[in-house]
Amino acid sequence: VQAVAAMGRARATESLYTFSRKLAGVGTLDDVLWATAYQTALMLKVRVVLLLPENGSIAVKAGYPPEDILDEADVAAAKWAWQNNRAAGRGSDTLPGAKRLFLPMRTGRGAIGVVGIDSDKPGPLLTPDERRLLDALIDQGALAIERVHLVEDMERVKRTVETERLRTALLTSISHDLRTPLAAVLGAAGTLRDLSSKLTDAEKADLLATVIDESERLNRFIANLLDMTKLESGAIVPNAALHDLGEVVGSALERARKILARHRVDVHLAKDLPMVEIDPVLFEQVLFNLLDNAAKYAPAGTAIRIQSWRSQDSVGLQVLDEGDGIPAADLENIFDKFYRAQKADQVRAGTGLGLAISRGFIEAMQGTIAAANRRDRPGAVFTITLPIPTKIMHLDTAA
Amino acid sequence: MNAAPAKVLVIDDEPPIRKLLRMGLSTQGYEILEASNGKRSLELLAQNPDLVILDLGLPDMDGLELLRIIRARNESVPIVVLSSRGDEAGKVQALDLGADDYVTKPFGMDELLARMRAALRHQLQVHGERPIFHTGELSVDLVRRNVKVGDKEVKLSPKEYDLLRVLVQHAGKVLTHKYLLGELWDDLTDAQYLRVYVRQLRQKIETDPERPQYILTETGIGYRLRSPD
Repeated sequence: VQAVAAMGRARATESLYTFSRKLAGVGTLDDVLWATAYQTALMLKVRVVLLLPENGSIAVKAGYPPEDILDEADVAAAKWAWQNNRAAGRGSDTLPGAKRLFLPMRTGRGAIGVVGIDSDKPGPLLTPDERRLLDALIDQGALAIERVHLVEDMERVKRTVETERLRTALLTSISHDLRTPLAAVLGAAGTLRDLSSKLTDAEKADLLATVIDESERLNRFIANLLDMTKLESGAIVPNAALHDLGEVVGSALERARKILARHRVDVHLAKDLPMVEIDPVLFEQVLFNLLDNAAKYAPAGTAIRIQSWRSQDSVGLQVLDEGDGIPAADLENIFDKFYRAQKADQVRAGTGLGLAISRGFIEAMQGTIAAANRRDRPGAVFTITLPIPTKIMHLDTAA
Repeated sequence: MNAAPAKVLVIDDEPPIRKLLRMGLSTQGYEILEASNGKRSLELLAQNPDLVILDLGLPDMDGLELLRIIRARNESVPIVVLSSRGDEAGKVQALDLGADDYVTKPFGMDELLARMRAALRHQLQVHGERPIFHTGELSVDLVRRNVKVGDKEVKLSPKEYDLLRVLVQHAGKVLTHKYLLGELWDDLTDAQYLRVYVRQLRQKIETDPERPQYILTETGIGYRLRSPD
């Protein structure tokens, strides 16, 4: 008999070891609770409920077989076990009339929850051996639950830090990007009003150009802020239909004409491009942002190239510039909100929103966008990939 | 412009914008009526303005609703709507309700004046189409159904010609996808057919179809043919 018991203990030890290994690989709280309840029920041939603190009390979070509701006596016993950190209910000194035995689950850092067990077999619920096994099981469970809690806490802290960092970046960005053009507008307008008699016509025209250019810059920044807000609140629902890429490229170039005045733009679109499923307003905005970016980062007089081609099941479109390219360290983060690539010279950097918006829009249209450096010469290249729609139309196009 | 100055009803609740419009429009010899809300604009409508500039964002009334009322009371007065970027749906609705054109705020005065001229010109033309239309190198003879770019005659399919004819008849004005589809096909509502014909037409009449000079895309709204010279 002792040999049998010894063999049983060896099997139990092996099962416990397997259980702890299994728990270590489980990520979510639900999975940990379910695994603990299941393993306990299986090894001890009992029914199991697990209760965790919730809103100042404790509530059933898992059970095997599944159980949601406890009767009043069981609830009282579970609460007592939780509050006093001691056993309560069936077979214990406290509230023995309850259907289940409730035991606190503890770790070195304190109580984690309560486990409740019962079975249909008559007599004592557990032998001393079984009780030791139960203690080992719920210790393992408690540790796993604590680990999940700690990971959640860390992620919450990380999120808070990230939110905080973004908020700071937002404030810096807004105060800089709103105030700089405003200062230029106010300064130019004030000078025109107060010093008009002392200014040459050329100087007046220059100041007026400043008022207009800086106001347009402000307008673009506010539009970016609105787009970003819409993206983040989930208000962007693409109105996708089949469109000719060439047409959207054309309207984006038209909108960006003033920004591109100091660059040469070459457009190379493959003749066999199929129509693509896009929201033309969003896509035009993406192209505008990429062109704006290229004009900002590549020196005046250089060429900006737009090229598009068709491959097996996708359409690619690239915007290439002849600037210094993107520093390797920035490639990872260039699509992050408020991230601005470092620039060596004094040319003013962007708002840090254009690329984040572009990625949000393209992904909303089931496409991808990536940044890289050119291989043939220094310069940045942005690549958009769109799936070829399955329903390609055929028209009678005879002249 | 004729001897009597054209009367323009400006409906906008922002005093600085009204002031700007007053100054800009009077340099062109327009006479201006100003309203800061829907109620006042309906009173002033009784003075029979030649054109209405309507800001869709008004304090006392939905701008589209006011547009509907103005159109119901006066079928022919050209209406140019002021709207904000990103509100393509609102612009299309306004055009479908009978607005003649729109300008996106913030706008340049030259742009607004061009839209107003196109809207007024179109109204004058309704009863007497000019037979030959010229803009840049493009000329279209609506009587002989003849299209030329420079000296070269361009061969168009019947549908392509119909598309160009409708655009020419409304040159300078934006035409919505819905309007163009309705003019060209009885039973089609899918704008992609229109886009295919626009692409083909551009390949025949534009020097650089990727950067069109004549048939301009109003993204999310429709198309606009360049104004006649």
